[in-house]
Parts: sequence; structure tokens; C-alpha cells
Amino acid sequence: MRQLKTKPFPYFVGVHSLEELVTENSRVCVINILGSESRKVTPVSHEYSGGNIVAGVQYGRSGKLETKIGDIPYYQSVRDVMDNGHTFDTGVIYLPPTAVSQAVSELTQYNEDLKRIVIVTEKISSRDSRNIRFLCQEAGVDVIGANSLGIANVWDNVRVGGALGGDDPAETLKKGSIAIHSNSGNFTTTMAEYLRIAGFGISTAVSSGKDVYVHFALPEFLYAAQNDPRTKAIALYVEPGGYYEKMALDWIKERRFGFNKPIVVCVTGRWKKNISRSCGHAGALAGGGDDAETKEKWFDDYFGVKCFNPDKPKVSKRGVRVANIQQVPDAMKTVFEKLDEEPDFPSDGDLSLKPWLSDTIMKLPDELNIPVFRAISPYDKQIEEINKQVGAQYLRQNMRNTSGASKMNPGTQVAELHGKTILDLSKNSIEENIYFSIAKVLPEKEDIPSINLLLNIFLKMNPKAMLNIDTAMANGATPNAYISSQIAMIGNKPLLANSRKQAEFIIDLIREFGIHENKKIPVEVHKYIREKLLTKKAPKKSDVADMLYKEVKKSNKNCIALKVCQYILNIAEKEKMYIKDQHEFLLATIAVCIFWKPMLEKRISKKVAEDSLSYLYVISRIFAYSVIDRKNNKFWQKLTDKKISNINNSFTDNAFKILFNRVPTGDELFEFQTLIGLTLTNGPGTISAKGSKESVSAGNNISLAFVGFMVNTGLAHGGNGFEAIDFLLNTFEKINITDPSSRKNDVDLDKLASEAAKEYTRFKKHSKEFGELNYKRIPCVNHPVFKGNDVNFDPREQFVSSELEKRDVYNVFLDFYHKLVKELFNEGATRNVFCVNVDAVLAVLTLKLVWKDFASGKISKQQIQNLVFTLFLYGRSIGVAAEIADHRDRGQDMDCRTPQRELKFVL
Amino acid sequence: MQLSGLRYGSKLLDLVEFPYPEVITGGANKEEIQQMLDKHGKLVVKPFFYGGVGKKGKAGLIKIVDNLVDALDAKQDLYFAKHKHGIKTIQANGVTMEEFVEAELEVYFSITASTIHRKPIFTITPHGGVDIESLPADKKKIVEIDPFIGLKSFDITNALTDTGCPQRYISCLVRFIPKLWDLYENYGLTTIEINPIRVTKQGNQYIPVACDIKAAFDQDNPAWKRIGLPSTIFQSDISPFESEINKLRTYQGQSDVVELNPKGSIIPFMFGGGANSAATETLGSSAIFASDFGGNPPYEKMYDISRIVFKHWLEKANVLLLIGGKANNTDIYVTFKGIFDALRDHIAENGSKPIYTVIGRGGPNLVKGMFYAKDILDTLKLPYKVFGFDTSMILSIEYAKKIDEWWSKEGKKEYLRLTSKNS
Repeated sequence: MRQLKTKPFPYFVGVHSLEELVTENSRVCVINILGSESRKVTPVSHEYSGGNIVAGVQYGRSGKLETKIGDIPYYQSVRDVMDNGHTFDTGVIYLPPTAVSQAVSELTQYNEDLKRIVIVTEKISSRDSRNIRFLCQEAGVDVIGANSLGIANVWDNVRVGGALGGDDPAETLKKGSIAIHSNSGNFTTTMAEYLRIAGFGISTAVSSGKDVYVHFALPEFLYAAQNDPRTKAIALYVEPGGYYEKMALDWIKERRFGFNKPIVVCVTGRWKKNISRSCGHAGALAGGGDDAETKEKWFDDYFGVKCFNPDKPKVSKRGVRVANIQQVPDAMKTVFEKLDEEPDFPSDGDLSLKPWLSDTIMKLPDELNIPVFRAISPYDKQIEEINKQVGAQYLRQNMRNTSGASKMNPGTQVAELHGKTILDLSKNSIEENIYFSIAKVLPEKEDIPSINLLLNIFLKMNPKAMLNIDTAMANGATPNAYISSQIAMIGNKPLLANSRKQAEFIIDLIREFGIHENKKIPVEVHKYIREKLLTKKAPKKSDVADMLYKEVKKSNKNCIALKVCQYILNIAEKEKMYIKDQHEFLLATIAVCIFWKPMLEKRISKKVAEDSLSYLYVISRIFAYSVIDRKNNKFWQKLTDKKISNINNSFTDNAFKILFNRVPTGDELFEFQTLIGLTLTNGPGTISAKGSKESVSAGNNISLAFVGFMVNTGLAHGGNGFEAIDFLLNTFEKINITDPSSRKNDVDLDKLASEAAKEYTRFKKHSKEFGELNYKRIPCVNHPVFKGNDVNFDPREQFVSSELEKRDVYNVFLDFYHKLVKELFNEGATRNVFCVNVDAVLAVLTLKLVWKDFASGKISKQQIQNLVFTLFLYGRSIGVAAEIADHRDRGQDMDCRTPQRELKFVL
Repeated sequence: MQLSGLRYGSKLLDLVEFPYPEVITGGANKEEIQQMLDKHGKLVVKPFFYGGVGKKGKAGLIKIVDNLVDALDAKQDLYFAKHKHGIKTIQANGVTMEEFVEAELEVYFSITASTIHRKPIFTITPHGGVDIESLPADKKKIVEIDPFIGLKSFDITNALTDTGCPQRYISCLVRFIPKLWDLYENYGLTTIEINPIRVTKQGNQYIPVACDIKAAFDQDNPAWKRIGLPSTIFQSDISPFESEINKLRTYQGQSDVVELNPKGSIIPFMFGGGANSAATETLGSSAIFASDFGGNPPYEKMYDISRIVFKHWLEKANVLLLIGGKANNTDIYVTFKGIFDALRDHIAENGSKPIYTVIGRGGPNLVKGMFYAKDILDTLKLPYKVFGFDTSMILSIEYAKKIDEWWSKEGKKEYLRLTSKNS
């Protein structure tokens, strides 16, 4: 086939004047209209252009894309678009690179009226790009791009292709007399913005792209600009690579086409001649003789003047080259003066340095010390508004099977919370993990006493609350039931509601008044506090309240929230007034202070910081209500009474005492916190986590979300830990073990393991012979990750065992378990050596902790069962706090319901 | 991505069965070299360079030897030879020893993507073995290639005839040269240059033998991976930092980096190809790398990129610069969140590092993004200046350069003094 040619070019060009490149009459079809970029950009283009997109293509789908001015229909192919009666002359392609040439082929094959294709896609191979050109040259279609951000005809308020002008094109693209051709999409908009500030508007702007092949290149652009009555001058942005500019300038000099409009050009990329592969634009890589310096020379020779000097502005009638794009407006002004032309409209500023935001940490030397400027409208108002916001912000989405808090690593089967594995977390104390679950970061050392203080205060209760629990226990209720019944009654009690309000007040006060560590508190704060916070009514006296007041007053922590609150207390003292809800204010002060940093660091939302006391309260109460034998537990009685003793203890220590009714040894405390750490989470798919998420989704408050978690636990989830203990108790029933942590017990573990394995093998064989395939297995052996190996292992169990070994902590039950899995293999009961899994670890640690009490009859088997379940509730209540906070931040009402299409009916 | 020489170029020629001389590398022992000498009489010893390096002959880096002593001397001389290529001086990575091909004619042939013709072209001359640029126009011929047909035999015949190639050689060249189009077209090449093709007589037949090759590959066309070249041959181009970032590369771009000066003092996050070009130029040697993170990268990608950037450079830098024009599509909030979350997490793990942040940016969600940066920097107690799009991008960059200078002279000390006093 002979090459189509359009004079004066040796190839086809379908545009005579820039004003026809794209117009209000252009009709557009967008390919891959639902692609991530197009989905955002296409509606804005459609709305800005008065509805010029007639249809889209989404391969394999059909439907409608909503826009503010009406829906855009989309179909599964270009043929379907045509068959449905849509006519268009412009195609826009948003596909991944390998699919673009096929879309071009489809567009040219099915639409004979096609005039232009804008290709937004970047990183198209030069082979495909070349084929695209060939196809379109044959079909008589102009291609803009690839890697183009499209075209804008500002006179017609039309933009086609990409996102020129951003999400508010009218803000930057003002009608005027400058035509832009830019190798950079961003600089197309940025130059338009710079020119606008200087008083110049745009006729048509073309983002040409800068791949190796530029399909709508400078020769045809200048030709079309010359024939465009709207355009008085041209602004160009040029990068190295390619001879397009030389061809254009040569052809003008050779008078292949007439051209007399001035050009202001910026060439960048001198540095690119030193690199051997592209960075940024694929085609901006100089070969021989097309580097930036050479291109600068082409233009300088054409203009006949040197590069523009803003201090001694000199231009020719042909224009001038500028060193960088900030000089484009000044050069354009000089060019217009030379032509005796006026700018399009009055200038509304300049491009000088105007910081919108600055730190207050240090003073800069005079030459660098530029004061903060008020941002241009409407950004100034946005700054005022956003300045008041603090903390992480999330887009709301369906969180049914999604979590921003926990995940299960599919490779290791080790669950993670906020990016840390439960193995790592099991090294922390309970109070550290509670804080971590809410704050997403471990506490600073200096904050740990405050966390303990709050948690311990919340243990204090009216003993009458336990009467219901006694009844529930007597009725055989499981720990999840009797604890959650009390937690459900917390509701949004005044203590929590008021402390939330106070936390909100403190945070808002700091942000609203711009209170900063390096600044004095503004005087108007005094009046504001007096009006909003102070009262003549004295608060109720209590030991705890007094202690809190002193605690806050004396603290010298470096925290702005604390300083503000101390300032408020001082004002109240001076004015001889009190703070409304003073107890809650003091609690909120401590909470805001410890959660201030993670909030400012955007780890947690403001809401989580405000709710932090609620989380701490509910978790603490779960521990308080969990006591198994309260009448005989002196520790619990002391911890929950109204006195302030033990209030500064470690919460881990207190929790141990509540559950085990004795003072722990160092090793026991370690084992206890390991147990809690390992049960923090097992990922968001567990029914306990789902229970809490579903409760949030239903619109419940924090306490009821914890109830949601607890009612989703039971004898199969949480209570099942007892299975292994039961197995061990039966195995060790007749053996005299005085101290499970001692290696000197009079027991032959090999023999015991061998007997247990033999017994199990007989049982298994017997069950199979009787056709019972669902026979009872030995609990807590095997694990899916290394299941096929000759010797299986559970990485979590290995981690704990090694930690115990490091501390030289022995556990006779764990030792037995390790021997048992080997014996099971030796007896042929298992095909490979099974592992001891993490559930076994939980069982052996627990059994060791209760062994002496059990052996002495102080605790019954039933109580051990409750204790095991409670331990699970402890750990998981800490983990689900993170799920609840996450779901409250990101989720939507009712997002946990199952869509109708996923439901099934079975007979 | 380029390669030159027969060490790896022979793999390309094998793909289309284009003849080339027998080659051994510098790793060959004396016996093997002697065997080659016995077989071929003479050997051509050339240094091997990674990348596309030409003009070795002109630089006197090619030696022809006919005995073992000379061969070993040449090997020793050239093994670590230095060669000025463009503005860079590069060092050889060993040598190749190639069979010397007796020739009656030397032909230059190349196929390349031409921006003048906006299609592929081939260039041919029967006066090869020299710099193609040095030949007068009438002795070389440039011919456009129809990409849907490929190299046409008659175009080659006509071009060789027009440039004075004796008729007896044309037939063999026309038989073999079109194979090079298959190579160019199917393996992701943007340029292939064979200079010289030495036309040698074997029996009654003339055979064209490719005695040197240069090839450039299209980074955006994965077809080159089918050749099975070891990835190491392109690694001289790529630093560990670039390699780590490149793993995140997708067709949407968003993660282009080129390490420029590891001793630089400014970490520049550049958004957009234009900003990349203009900002790198303005920053000069202060920029540790050039980058283009435009194209609206998602949060996860921006976070990962930033973690890698901070891991490699935060310790060494004075200024963190975020620079771009008024974004069209890139969500400023999302990108800034990725960067500053990564900065926060890096500092949480590795401890605080005094650094001054300068931002110059415009685009969707601008103020939200700026405040994200501000809040994290305030918390980390790091100083900053944030400019909007009503400040020239270049002025913001120049300001960052001045801050960099001041920071290294006195700013950093002053900052450390102030912060240690306050803590």
C-alpha cells in the first residue's frame, strides 16, 4: 500500500488548524473506561466538556459509568458501541501497554469516521508504537501520544484523553491565545498554570507524550498552530531524544509551510546524555546528535537570540528559549511586548517563593527565612479546615472479610497484628500489648505506668456486679457468657461518654487554637476554657479522684496535651472553680497524653484516641469479671475494691493474680504473658474477630462489639484448649509429679509416651475396623505448613520452645508431647513425625501453672476448663480491640451482611 | 539496555543462524588458545565491555595475533583496558578471542527506530569497518522499512548497488541480512548494528560473517527475555538501589529511578517526566538520584518505594525534596501518605535523623497531602517548608539547594543543638 500523504508533510496529518484538533463537536469513545485511571478521569473530562463521551468499552462487560451530567454507557467491544448507534470521531485508550495496538486496530477497523486516537498508556513498546503509527497512517487517523495526558481546547471547554488541568480543569485552563505543546503531561498543566498567573490563557494544549515515537509531533503542531486564528504564540516544553524539533524548524526555514508565530521554548535534560537507559519518559534518551544541548542550539539558531535572561529580557519576533519553565511567563510577556500585544487578562500574582506551611522548630538565616503566605483561594480555606483535623483518616469501605489490623501470613501460618507477629508480641507484657492493639505501636517506656494506672483504676468495681456472674456460673454458663453479660451492661455509661467528650475537647482545643510546644498558649484560651469547661460545682471526692488529680498535676512528661491540661487545672485553681466532669477530664488527660503521638503520627484516628478509655475500660473489666473463685481470691478482692493500693502495679501481674489467685514467679509471669501474646489474634477470619466486626457493622458501641466477639467463642473456639489439658490430665493422672518445671520428677517420659502412642494406635485401628473414621484424635499435634516433611514442625511452637529454653524453663508436659509425636510415628500411627503445635504449647503452659493447685485439690477440673477458656478470652480481647477500632474507622454500616447471591438453601 | 561484542552478541546471532567467528573468552587456558590458533591461524583479541560500547578499533583496543605469546600479551594488556566512551571512562571485564576472518569485503549494516522517518530504517554500506558517520552520503544508504513486511530483498540489493557494492557479493548478503529483521522484530530490539560483516569465501561460496555486534533493547518490550541472556550483563547499568526499586516497576511506571550521585545530599522525590528532567538539571550533583514517581502510584507502591529510598539514603542526606508541578491525576494525599508513613516507620526502626524537608507541589488533594506531611514532620520534630503550585517549581528546587548548603554548614548543628536542648 502506498503511504497516505497530506501536504506539506511526507506523511498523513488530518489536522489543518489546532482549533479542529478537538472541538465541542468531537464525540469520544473511551477504551477500558473502567480502568483505575479512567474511572477517575473520564467523568471529570465528560463533565468539563459538556458530555462529549458517547460511550466506552470495557472488554467483556457492559453497563453505565455514572457522571454528574448523566451516565456513560459502556459495551464489551467497539463493534457493540457502533451497533448500539453511537457515533464518534475520537478514541481514547487507557489500556495496559500490550493491549493498545489491538485496540487501535479495533477502532480503525470498525469506525470509518474515526479521526483521532489519544493514547494515555505509557510504556508501550516501540515496536507496538511503530505498528500503531502504520495502522493509523493507512486509516487516515491522527494519533496523540502515546503516554499523553490528552488535548484541551480551552475555547470550547473540551478536554479529551487524560487529566489535563487535574480534577478541576477550569481552575487552570483559562481561555486565551497561547497554544501549548509539551513532552510532559504535568508540564502542560503547570505551564498553563504559570501562564494563567501571568495573564495568559490557552487556546489548545497538547500533551504529546515522550515515547521514542511521538505521533503528533512538533512539525504538525506548529503547522496547525499557524492556521489557528485563536493562537498568537506558542509555548513548548522539549526533552532530549528524537529529531522532531529539528524537522519542524528546518521545514519552517525551508518554507515547506509558512510559520510566523512566536515560540517560547524550554528544553531540559542536559544530564540525560550521561545515562544509558530512560528515566521518566521512555523517549527522552539522547542518541547521537539529539541531546538537550543540541536541541537548545537548534532553537537558539532559529530564534537568533540567546537564551532568555529575565534581568535583561531580549527576544526575537520568532521567540526565545528559556532555561526553565518558570521563565515561560516572563518570556511570553516580553514576546507580547515585542509584538505590541496585550496579555489575555490581568495577571493575578507571581511565581515567587510563597511557603504555605512551615515548621516552628528553628529560625532560618535571613535569606532563607521566608514567612508563611496565605495560600491562594480556595486552598486557604482548605488549610484552615484541615488544620483542625488530626490523626489518621480512612476511606470507608466494605470490611466484611477485610482487616486493617490483623492478617494471617499464608506462608508461615503465623498471624500478625499491626504488622507484628504474635510471636514477637508474646514477648511483651499484657499492658504493652493492650496499648499496641489500640495505638498500633508499642508504648514509650515512660507511658507504661500511665497505662497500668488506667487499667488498674478500671478494675475497681462495685462487688454487687458479681452477683449476676455468680448466678451465671451456678447455671453452668461458660466464661464467655458470664463475662459478656456484664460487659453488655456497660453500654455507653457516663464515665465513658464523658471521658470521650473530654478527650475530644482537649484535642480540639489544641488544634483549634494552634497550641504548639514551642509557642505560648494564646491568651484567648483562658476565656474559652472558663466558658466551656469550668464550673462552681465541686466534684465528688474519692481516693482515686484525688490520686488522679495529683498524678496529672505533678507529671513532667513532655506532652502538649498534658501541658494544656495542667494549664487548665491551674486556671481552675486560680479562679477557685472546678472542671466539669473533673474525674473524666483527668482520665481523658492521661489517655490523650499517651495516645497523642500515635495520633499525630497518623497511626490512629482521632476517634480511636478519643475512644481509647473505652477500650481500656472494657478490656480491664473483662479481666475483672473473669475471676473464677472470687470468694477465696484475696488478690482480686483488693484489686477491685475502692482503695488505691496496687494501682501502680503491672497490669500483667494483677491479671495473673486475678486468674491464678497467687503471686507469680518471674518465670510464671513470662509464661503467662506468652500465653496471652500467642492468642491475641489468628487473623480476621476467625469467628471471634468476625463477631466483633459484625457487631460494629450492626452499629453497636464498643462494649457491645466486645460482646460480639465473646458470644462468637465457645467450646469449639476458645474453650477447645481444654481438650489437650484433659488428654494430659488423663495421661498423667496416676503419676506423681510434684513440680512440672523440674527435670527431676520421678517419671519415665519415654515409657509414658510409648504407652500413650500404643494405646492411641490400638484405638485408631479399632475405630477404623468399626468403620468410624471420625474417631477422636490426639489433640494439638500436626500443622499444615510443613505437613509433607518427614519431620513436621510448627514455627510458633518452635519459637516458644526456644524462648523457654533460653530462660532455662522446663515443662514436663511439653517434653512429653515432643516424645509422643516421635512414638506415634514409631508405632505407625502417623505417616511422618507430626509436630507439636502451638495449641499444645498453650495447654502445657496452662497445665503447668495450675498443676500444683489441681494436685492439692484447690482447683477443680471444671475450674481448669474455665480458666483455659478465660486465658483465651484475655488474649483475644486485646486483639479484637484492634479489629473493633479498625472496623469503626473504615467499615460501613451493615457491611458484614452476606450478599444475597452468596446465600444457599439446602434440604 | 545495550550489549556489544560477540561474547553475548553471538547468542543473538545464533537465534537467526547468522554466521559469526568462533569465539573463546579470556577464561580459556593456554591449550585452548593454542588450539584456536592452530585452527584459524590468527585471532582477534578484543576487550569485553558491559553495555553498548563502540569505537574500540579506533581506540587501538583490538589486537590481531598469530602466536600464543602475543595472544597472552594481548590478553594481559586488554583484560582491564580502559576506554573513553562518550563522557564516561569504562573498564573492560575480560577479553574475547575471536577467529580472524579473511575478507574480501566489509559491510556495515544496522536497523534502528528512526524518529525522522517515524518508522524503522536500515543503513547499509559495503565500505564498512569504519565509523558510519565518517562516510560520505553517497557511500551509504538509509532505507525505510515497512514494519508489516520487514526487510525486502530488493531494497537491500538496490541499496548495495547504489553504494557501489560489487555484484558478486550481493547475493550472499541478500540471503543472510533479512534474518536480522527477524532478530530485531521478535526479540525486543530497538537497534542492531553489525560492523563489520566480513564477506569471506568458503569454497565457491561467499559467506557474510558478523565480526562485531551492538544491540539495544527496549525496556518496555519483554521479548528480549526470551534470548536467555544472563541478567548480570545489564547489571553494570544498575546499582543495588535501582535494582531494588526496579522490582516494583510496572507498566504504569511510577517507580523510575536512576542513581546519579551516591555522594549527593538531596533525596529528590520527583513526580512526572517533566519534573524529573527539569529538577535533575537544576539540582545538579546535589541530587542522589533522578526519579519519576508520577502516574498516580497507589499507596502501597509509594510506601514501598519510600522505604527503599530511606533505607539507602536517609542516613546520608541533608534535604528531602518532594517536587512536581501541578499534578493532573496523581493524588497528592495518597503519595505523601506513602512517603511520610515510610519516613515515620523508618525513623521508628532506625532512630531519628536530622533532615530538612522541602516540598513543592500542586494537584488533587493537595492540602490534605501537605498536612499529612506537616503532621508527621511535626511529630518527628523535623523542619520543613511547603510550597504550593503558585511558587515556581524551579524556585522551590533552588531553595532546597540553598537549604542543603546551609544545613551542611550550620543548619544541622543548630538543629541538633535546639532539639537536644528541648529534649
